[in-house]
Amino acid sequence: MRGAASLLTSPLEVIHLGIDSVAEAPRHGGAPVISAEFLPPAGGDAARVAALTRLSTGPLSREIDAANQRALSRFLSSRPHLAGIGIARDVIPGMADDLFLHAGPPVTWDRMCGPLRGAVVGGLLFEGRASTPEEAERKAAAGEIRFEPCHHHQTVGPMAGLVTPSMPVFIIEDLGDERRGARTFCTLNEGLGKVLRYGAFSGEVLARLGYMASDLAPVLSAALKARGPIDLRLLVAQALQMGDEGHNRNRAGTSLLLRELAPAVVRSCPDKERAASALEFIHRNDHFFLNLSMPMAKCMLMAAEGESLSSMVTVMARNGTDFGIQLSALPGRWFTGPAQFVKGLYFPGFSEGDANPDIGDSAITETAGIGGFAMAAAPAIVQFVGGSAEDALETTRRMGHITIGPNPAWAIPSTGFSGTPTGIDVRLVAERNLLPTINTGIAHRNPGVGQVGAGLVNPPWSSFHDALLALDSHIAKNR
Amino acid sequence: MIDLVAVQKGTYHDSARLMLIARDLGSLPGISEAVVMMGTDANRELLHSAGFAGGELDSATPLDLVIALRGESREAVESARARLDTALSGAAKRTGPATAARPRLREALKEHPTANLVSIAVPGAYAAYLSHQALDAGRNVFLFSDNVPLSDEIALKEKAREMGLLLMGPDCGTALIGGTGLGFANRVMHGPIGLVGASGTGIQELSSLLDELGVGISHAIGTGSRDLKKIVGGIMSEMGLRLLADDEATKVIALVAKSPDPEVASRLHTVMTGLGKPVVVRYLGQAAPPSEPGSGDATGVFYTGSLDEAAQTAVALWRGESVPEPPSYAGSPVAGLSNGVVVGLFGGGSLAAEAALFLGQAGLPARFPDRPIRPGDPLPPGTHLVIDTGDDFYTLGKPHPMVDQTVRCDLIKKIGSDPSVRLLLLDLVLGDGAHPDPAHEISAAFSEAQNARPQSPLLGVCTICGTKADPQDPFHQQELLEANGMTVERSVRRAALRAAALYGASLPGGLA
Repeated sequence: MRGAASLLTSPLEVIHLGIDSVAEAPRHGGAPVISAEFLPPAGGDAARVAALTRLSTGPLSREIDAANQRALSRFLSSRPHLAGIGIARDVIPGMADDLFLHAGPPVTWDRMCGPLRGAVVGGLLFEGRASTPEEAERKAAAGEIRFEPCHHHQTVGPMAGLVTPSMPVFIIEDLGDERRGARTFCTLNEGLGKVLRYGAFSGEVLARLGYMASDLAPVLSAALKARGPIDLRLLVAQALQMGDEGHNRNRAGTSLLLRELAPAVVRSCPDKERAASALEFIHRNDHFFLNLSMPMAKCMLMAAEGESLSSMVTVMARNGTDFGIQLSALPGRWFTGPAQFVKGLYFPGFSEGDANPDIGDSAITETAGIGGFAMAAAPAIVQFVGGSAEDALETTRRMGHITIGPNPAWAIPSTGFSGTPTGIDVRLVAERNLLPTINTGIAHRNPGVGQVGAGLVNPPWSSFHDALLALDSHIAKNR
Repeated sequence: MIDLVAVQKGTYHDSARLMLIARDLGSLPGISEAVVMMGTDANRELLHSAGFAGGELDSATPLDLVIALRGESREAVESARARLDTALSGAAKRTGPATAARPRLREALKEHPTANLVSIAVPGAYAAYLSHQALDAGRNVFLFSDNVPLSDEIALKEKAREMGLLLMGPDCGTALIGGTGLGFANRVMHGPIGLVGASGTGIQELSSLLDELGVGISHAIGTGSRDLKKIVGGIMSEMGLRLLADDEATKVIALVAKSPDPEVASRLHTVMTGLGKPVVVRYLGQAAPPSEPGSGDATGVFYTGSLDEAAQTAVALWRGESVPEPPSYAGSPVAGLSNGVVVGLFGGGSLAAEAALFLGQAGLPARFPDRPIRPGDPLPPGTHLVIDTGDDFYTLGKPHPMVDQTVRCDLIKKIGSDPSVRLLLLDLVLGDGAHPDPAHEISAAFSEAQNARPQSPLLGVCTICGTKADPQDPFHQQELLEANGMTVERSVRRAALRAAALYGASLPGGLA
C-alpha cells in the first residue's frame, strides 16, 4: 500500500527529478533517493506537452494502452505466408494500366526526387509506353500516368518502390484465424548495382526486369503452387537468430528461402537450365528476402490498423522527398515531414554530397519491430553503419522504450532471447524525445547511379509531433 | 562591446546549474553580460530584449542550449566561452542517441515499486506531466516547481485526493516526512507536533522555533503556496489535516498559511474543530483578532498572532499546560521619520509579510514597494519598506535568494549606503537546500554599505531561521553577522521588535 497515510508510517523512498539541491534534505535524512533523468517532453513545446498529458496520463492513457495492446495482439496473431506470384495488374487491388505505384507518401512528378523519377522513366520504358527516356519524362510530366503510393494498394516497395502494371509481384496472404485471406504485395528484388529501385533505367536494367517477368516469376510461381504457402514469420524468426535484422541484412533469410524453394523449383520446372538460373538469381542476391520481409511486415501491420484509440504507428515510409507515418487510430492519414539524410558509410568514390534523402517503404520493417529495432540480432552489419556490437544492443534496448511490447515470436539471442521491440507508440516517442532508428541503404541523388552507401536514419520530428496532436484532437472530437 | 551568441543543439542542463554557471561567467573580467539558458520561447525573448541577436538564436528549441556572452574584447568573450565549456563538460546530458543510463521517470517508477514519493523540481511547464505520471503510478508527489498553471494544480489535487495520495505543491518549498526533510528543510528533532503549511519558510520558521523549545516534528505536510486560494479550495490543507489527525505520532497539529481565502478559512475551521486533536493556526501577515471566533479550548482550534506564539501554544498543548496568554501585539507609534527609514530585505516571502506586520505593530508602519526596486533605484520617499527578494521580478531566470544571494547583496549595498536609510532588517534561512554559508556574503555586503557612509552609522538586525543541527551552524552564522555590526535574533517577530527598539533608541532623544 502506497497511499498518503502509509507514506507517514513507512520508510521514505524518493524518486527525484530536476534541481539536485532539492534532494539534499532527503539524502541527509538517510532516505534512498533515486535520481531520474529529466528532459522536457515533446521537444518542450507547450501544446504538445498538453496533448501528451491528456493522452499519456489518467484514465484515457489506460484506455489507449489497452487499445495498443489489442492492436499489438492483432499484429502478433497475423500469419503472413508467401502464397504465390501474380502480375500487378491482375492481383493488386485498384491497379490500373495508367497507374504506377511508388514508395512513401503521395508525391507529384514535380516534387519527385532523382531516383524516383529515374524509376518512373524505367517503368514507362519497361511497359513500352515510351521508347526513349526523354519521351518517358515528357509523358510523366504531362500526367499521362497517375502516381499513387504503394501503401494505398496493400503494397510496399523498397527504395523508389516502383510498381508498374506488368510487373510480377509476390502475393502474401494472411493465414491467421482473424484475418484469413488478407493480402499484401511486393515486387521481386532485382539485386544490387544498377537497378530500377535506385532509379536506373539502362538496357541492362530493363533486360533484367524482362527476365524476371518472363522466367523467374513463372518458375517461382509454379514452385509455390507445387509446394504450398511458406510461413514468412517463421523464416524471419530463424533469420534473426542467424545474424539478419530483416532490413539491411537478409542473407540468412534469403538462404532459408532458397532451402524452402529449391526442391519445389526442381520438381516443378521441366527445364533444368531455367530452374538453375532462377535459383542462381536468388543465390546471387543477398537482399532477395527483403522483398518478402517487407510485405510480411505490411501484412502484420495492416492487421493492427483501425483500433480506434490506438497510438501505434502502422506505417513509416519515404519517397525520397517526404517521410510519412500513419497511426492505427487514423488509418490512411499521412503525417509527413521532410525526408532526412542518412548517416552512414559510403562506398568508395562516393560521399555525402552524392546522397539522396531517405527513400523507400522498407521502413515498414522497423515499424514491425525488425530492421533497426532488431539491430542486436545483426552484429555483422553494425560496423557497416559505424558502430560496435554494444551499440547494436543499445539500439534495440532503446527502441524498447518507444514500443508497446516485445514480439515473443522473434527472439534475439544476444538480448537473452527477448522479443523484438514492437509497435511504435507515438506518445512514447514524444515523451522520450526519441525517434525510431531505421537501417537503410543510401541512394545516389541522380537517377541510375544506384546505391552509394548504407547507414542509419531517423524520421523527421514533425511526422511524430503532428500525429500526436492529430490523435489528441481526434480523440477529443470523438468522445 | 563584443557579442557572442551560440546554440548547442541537443544539449540539456538543469536551469539551476546553468544560472550558477552564468553568474560565474558574468563575474569574469571584461564580461558585462553572460546568459546560458535552454532555448525556450521565453528565454529567447529575454535574450532579444537584452539586445542579443543572430539567426542561430531563432532556431533554438527548449532542448538546445543557448549561450550569449557580451564583453569588452574578443579575448574576454572567448575565454569566458572556454570556461563555460569546461564547466559544462562532464555534466552534459546529450539529448541525442547516446543518452546517459539514468532512468526516466517511467522506468524509475517501474524499477522502484517501493518508492513512495516522487520529488519534482523541473521547469513548471513540464511539472504537471510528471506529477500526473507519478500519481497514475500510485505515488505521492512533492512538487517543488513553481510556475505550474493553476488549472493543472487543481486537476492534480483533485486526482490526488480521489486516489488518496498527497500532492504537496506546486511551489512547495518544504516538507518533512517522518523526520526526513524535502526541499528547503531544517534539521529538526523528531517529535509530536505535526505541521500543515502552504508556506515553505513558514514551516521552516515554525519547526525551527519548536526545535528551539526542545520539541520535535512528526511530519510537515507542504501544500503549495496557492492551496488556500478560493479556486483551489484548500484541498491539500484539508487532506493534510485529516492525515495528521489519524497519525499516531502526531499529538498536536499546526497549520501555517499566508492570506487564506475567507471561505476556505471558514471551511477549514469546521474541519479543524472535528479532528479530535488540538490545532494551532498561524495565518502569516495577518494579525489574529483579539477574540477570533471559535478560537480556544472550546473548539480545540487556537489562532495565533505570530509563529513564536504558535510554537509556544503548540508546546503547551502537547504538555497539557494552559495555553499562554497572547503577547501584546499593539505597540505605540515611534515618532517621525526624520532620522531615516527602516528597510527590510527578505529572502523568504512569508517572513517578509510577517516582518511588515510586526514592524507596524511596533509603531513603524512599513509597506511593500508599489513596484520592484532595482539596486540603485531611488527609494519611495517617506516610508519604511519591506522588500521580498523572492519576488518573481528578482528571481526571473535566477535561483531562489535562499540559494543565490547576489541580488539581495546588491540591494543591501545600494540601499544600505543611502544615508536616508537608518536600519536594515534581514533574514537568513538555513538548512538543507539553502546557501552553504549565507552570513559570509550578507555581512560583507552590510560592511560595504556601512563603510560607504562613515558619517551616519547604519543599523542592522537579522533573524536567523535554523537549528543547531543545520549544516550552516546558526551560531557560526550569528558570530559572522555580529562581528560585522549586526544584531541577531532567532525569530522574525523578535527581530522586528528589536529593530523597532534600536530605531527608537537611535532617534534624537528617543528611547525604546
